[in-house]
Amino acid sequence: HVLSEVKEGFGNQINLCRDRGLSLRPPAPKSDTLPLDHQLANAPVVLSQTTEDGKIELDQLYKLVELEVKGHDTAVLKSYEWFAKTAARELGITVGNCWSLRKPNKNRLTLLKSVFIYKKHRVQYEIRTQFHFLQFHNLTGSTADTFLEYIQRNLPEGVAMKVTKVAVQALPKHLVPPEQAVNVEESK
Amino acid sequence: CHGNGSTLLNSVDQLMHTLMFSHILICSCMEPELDLMLRLVLQLSNQMPVDQEWSNVWPGPRTFHPASVPLPIRQGFPNKRQAPPGKFGNAELMKIPNFLHLTPPAIKKHCESLKQFCTEWPKGLTSEEQEKLFPMEVITSDYCHSSPVIRDPMARIVTLKINLNSLILDNHAKDKLLRLVENCYDPDTNVITIMADRCPLKQQNYDYIMYVLTALYHEAWKKETWEQEKSEADMEFYNWANSVSRQNILSYLSLSSNDTTNDTSPHLSEYEQAVSELFNQGEDDYTLFKYKESTKKLFVLHEDQTL
Repeated sequence: HVLSEVKEGFGNQINLCRDRGLSLRPPAPKSDTLPLDHQLANAPVVLSQTTEDGKIELDQLYKLVELEVKGHDTAVLKSYEWFAKTAARELGITVGNCWSLRKPNKNRLTLLKSVFIYKKHRVQYEIRTQFHFLQFHNLTGSTADTFLEYIQRNLPEGVAMKVTKVAVQALPKHLVPPEQAVNVEESK
Repeated sequence: CHGNGSTLLNSVDQLMHTLMFSHILICSCMEPELDLMLRLVLQLSNQMPVDQEWSNVWPGPRTFHPASVPLPIRQGFPNKRQAPPGKFGNAELMKIPNFLHLTPPAIKKHCESLKQFCTEWPKGLTSEEQEKLFPMEVITSDYCHSSPVIRDPMARIVTLKINLNSLILDNHAKDKLLRLVENCYDPDTNVITIMADRCPLKQQNYDYIMYVLTALYHEAWKKETWEQEKSEADMEFYNWANSVSRQNILSYLSLSSNDTTNDTSPHLSEYEQAVSELFNQGEDDYTLFKYKESTKKLFVLHEDQTL
């Protein structure tokens, strides 16, 4: 797996420009055809990429991207939050509310201490999960994909992430009232 | 307190000092201190330049390697009257994930090369315009677990939120839509929420949601023949426009004064409100008082006119 190689290797350069493992929308454009040239004010950004049937694929707009990061260690999550915020600021993403739950979620197991008999003597184990939330506002699809891929590649071991995206879309064109009042006939 | 030019002399000094010290210690020392001295010598021989590129030393995530990190880090529970354990052979430092590959200059470098893949948020798109142009919100979740498996069944869930104001509906269509949608409507925010998780894939659930929205919208605009059979007795709320009370008032007013402009008098609308409230919200002191006042106003005006 590409991910495991990157994590264990020492001396592997993370040069994301050349990394073919990236699965972004669009595929890496050449340096002389930047999609930013096509940006129009007051309109969704048009990608320079055309699909096979000749249609231009429009960039998604995300009102909010919320990251829920779960881990066992608060210090690791705190460092990760700092990293995510710094990366967002570098990429020009608006950082929203970032907070963590004060108490972890404890999953407890009460097991028998002895292999045989001694039912009254037990031993308890618990797994503590800490939660951390990060919110980012007003991202385009390409920015979101890039940012999330970068963040997720640098997710430390033992940390899980849930990404909730709120995309804003235009109403479908077919949702218009019928031209004539539709009176359904019972005989039909 | 040495000058700038004598760094070489400094390091030689330090080395001589250490060797002297270690010579003394080797004679009468215990093992940990011997290790410490050896390590000191090793470390001194592995001196890193201060202006080196740290992202070249630590380009990717890696378990902590004490000899490569020129910092005096200590981690762990300290024994009595001792400092916490040092960084050599420290399992605690090795177990915890480190962020040495993500220092601020490294992040800057990464983001510089990532910027070409990013696009800017459309300038001048204010939140009001956004709500007008893009009224639908589609909420999806993705999961990244600390395991080799990339799948999570919860990732198929798609939720759609849409404000009723953004849909073109007349009174009948709105009423019918709200009846069809039942619990999915939130009267406080005027938002309809539709959630789909019946299909195994996210794209399928999204298509299903769009289908549901279309079906709801077009069904709302349809008028069934049996809908016309709704009578006064079937109404859930009191509707002034079709009521007997309105007819009576209008006929009375038109009889007494010969002009037919009473339809738009402000007192009539107040009376309409009072009567509707009486029926819809029930009889209590406030509604009865309002009814009394509006009736008095209506007839007082009328008397003025006749006079």
